[in-house]
Amino acid sequence: MKATCGAQALFIVGCGGCAKKCATGDEAAILALSDSLKKAGKIVLGTVIVDSACDMRLLKRDLLKNEAFLKSDKAVVLACGAGAGALSALTDKKIVTGLNSKYLGTVERANITHKFCGVCAQECVLNETAGICPKTRCSKGLISGSCGGYANGKCEADIMKDCAWCLIYNKRK
Amino acid sequence: MKFKDKLKTNDFIITAELFPPKGTDISGVLERAEIIAPFVDAVNITDNQRASMRVGSLAMCAKLLQKGIEPVLQIACRDKNKIALQSELLSASVLGIDNILIISGDHPNAGDCKDAKPVYDLDPVRLLKAARGLEAGADLSGKPLKGSPKFCLGAVVNPQANPDGLQVEMFNKKVEAGAEFFQTQVIFDAGAFKKFYEKLPKNGKIKVLVGVSLIHSVKFMQFLQTLPGVVIPESVQSRMLGAQDPLDEGIKICAELIKSLKSFAHGVHIMAIGKEEHIPKIIEASKIQEELN
Ligand code: SF4
Ligand code: SF4
Repeated sequence: MKATCGAQALFIVGCGGCAKKCATGDEAAILALSDSLKKAGKIVLGTVIVDSACDMRLLKRDLLKNEAFLKSDKAVVLACGAGAGALSALTDKKIVTGLNSKYLGTVERANITHKFCGVCAQECVLNETAGICPKTRCSKGLISGSCGGYANGKCEADIMKDCAWCLIYNKRK
Repeated sequence: MKFKDKLKTNDFIITAELFPPKGTDISGVLERAEIIAPFVDAVNITDNQRASMRVGSLAMCAKLLQKGIEPVLQIACRDKNKIALQSELLSASVLGIDNILIISGDHPNAGDCKDAKPVYDLDPVRLLKAARGLEAGADLSGKPLKGSPKFCLGAVVNPQANPDGLQVEMFNKKVEAGAEFFQTQVIFDAGAFKKFYEKLPKNGKIKVLVGVSLIHSVKFMQFLQTLPGVVIPESVQSRMLGAQDPLDEGIKICAELIKSLKSFAHGVHIMAIGKEEHIPKIIEASKIQEELN
């Protein structure tokens, strides 16, 4: 809400990709946001859900020519940083990100996601680690093997979490 | 005899560790170092242990050297990237510190600065390899060094971590990466260590110094039980709970443990955590027990 300061007329951009799956960029999320913006005295000029907000081609096709978007003071983006960043690169309009992106999620079922890959942009280690990424799932990101702090397969830094190296060790056995 | 040479003998090796203070008054640590020095082969200085900010290990090690006490510099992968880690190794060598214990280091979650960035740019295996690389005359980027260091490299394992097979795997990886000696997580049960020890490959060259600790009070015992990977057997717990003089009982427990380890282990690493002045008493008591047998 703070980031919408100074703007009266807003436009909301949702995302039909990951943010829709997470129910943070779908119709319901847009509706909820638009209600609270209106309660705060703002005007919502329009909304749109782009199939994938991180695809600049789709933003150009589905958003950039939208009149309500063009008239708005600021656009609130309900997508991850890749989506908000894409829109920011395409327009001079002020962009407000409406979400804090946590991680690239693996979906197990509704509202249950996992962080299995940190998109490290380095040589992927999964072939050596039984398909379990220690860079992402070990609390210390240890690549060569475990520390000595795990207890009964749980991580020293967070006992609610499985030790990634114990998972790897057990899967390899 | 230097620690590195001592590792090559069949003598029972004793090391102990001290932790630097939070603040610049290092007089207490130096006093303790002088009390324990005649009884041990080398003194470890911890590196911001439990992820709690303190005087650096390197500075304290240099101070010990000035007093003629042989230090073991602990380096945690937690706080430094690969530039700083390699630089620390060179700095140690320049100061005449060649015993290095490489650890991952407790996660910042355990410490007093929980939002500190956990670096772990290198892990212990990779840092061991980097140290061996520096000895061979090149840094991690392959650039040649003008003058190369010489180290005595150590690493850690936890004999009581479950699954223990993973620790055996880590032992082997660390040996392969260049570890010459090991200091273990604290154990209170010689039998449990023996079981683990028997799973390690025997080549006689790699010395394993078993971590032992002085339980000086019941409160401290309860604290130890919260540490990752520490297991205190029922028998030890009930002895401490029933003791008239807990400190005296703790010294006895530690001395008995050292005595039983002497029959098969290479040595011990004593972590008396703030009560290091009792280390001479523990060592003397373990010797008396041995003579009694
Ligand atoms: S190594 Fe881990 S973080 Fe990197 S790409 Fe592979 S799974 Fe993702
Ligand atoms: S306990 Fe396992 S997951 Fe946790 S930091 Fe150690 S190796 Fe990594």
